[in-house]
Amino acid sequence: MSNAEQRQERQCISCGINISGMSAASFKCPECGRQVYRCAKCRKQSNLYECPDCGFRGP
Amino acid sequence: MTENDNELEAADEGVDAEEATEAEPDAEPEAEAEQPETVAEEATEAAEAEPEEAPEEAATPFDEDVMPDEEADLLIPVEDYLAAGVHIGTQQKTEDMERFIHRVRDDGLYVLDVSQTDKRIRVAADFLANYSPEQVLVTSSRQYGRYPAEKFADAIGARARTGRFIPGTLTNPDYAGYIEPDVVVVTDPIGDSQAVKEAITVGIPVIAMCDSNNQVSNVDLVIPTNNKGRRALSVVYWLLANETLDRRGAEPAYALEDFEAEI
Repeated sequence: MSNAEQRQERQCISCGINISGMSAASFKCPECGRQVYRCAKCRKQSNLYECPDCGFRGP
Repeated sequence: MTENDNELEAADEGVDAEEATEAEPDAEPEAEAEQPETVAEEATEAAEAEPEEAPEEAATPFDEDVMPDEEADLLIPVEDYLAAGVHIGTQQKTEDMERFIHRVRDDGLYVLDVSQTDKRIRVAADFLANYSPEQVLVTSSRQYGRYPAEKFADAIGARARTGRFIPGTLTNPDYAGYIEPDVVVVTDPIGDSQAVKEAITVGIPVIAMCDSNNQVSNVDLVIPTNNKGRRALSVVYWLLANETLDRRGAEPAYALEDFEAEI
């Protein structure tokens, strides 16, 4: 996998920003198991996220 | 007069005052004794009026509107949820929790959607099943959540931190009780704010039991439930434990009574 692809994968699921730092969370989608990243700001602002595969809406 | 004398006098006055207050109740029965007839009359009137309304109340003790779909498939009967008070919210609501609220009662309490609670318990169980048991941390600073949280941790093999969450538990490697879990389950994001704060610092997901007055800031998965009631917390932790064990292929061997703390 190229660096560009890796970077694209590590994007916040809510806002699309590239993930960096420790405060971001990465976990598997509670319903389908797809890897999900949430940036610190979206977590703090409790922005909703939606899994692109199964449509699960969180938090 | 010395200071001691003053104290003695004050103590005597205190005793007199106590005697006076004790004497007052003796006077009351006389006043009450004059009323029995009127009280009895009221009681008989009330007894006559009650039978007309009683059958309706008795027929529908838990028939409360708590979810949009009346025939939703739930983990336990809806009556059990209602008996435990899982659906009872608070008189305040937050915008974050609005999507989990079903309606407002006449007394101003928000009623949580029980079908959403049920669904989220399943989702949380799926989520927790992805992690190894010892990498799950359960916290509860709330008194009524301590026993169910410890029992839950015991059931699924997780670690529990109840009572005061010592700062540094997740962030200070020099602390003797330092641990590195992969996911945190909190009983109340307000009461367990230290655990949530440290989970953000180390970047691990947070599952939280949220009432209608909670904000879901820094929470990655919400379980909407009454997080203030003793029985409500017992039911939710019991269901979560059973579902998690079920997802792992283990046989759920716990009854609801095992999760209920003594009063």
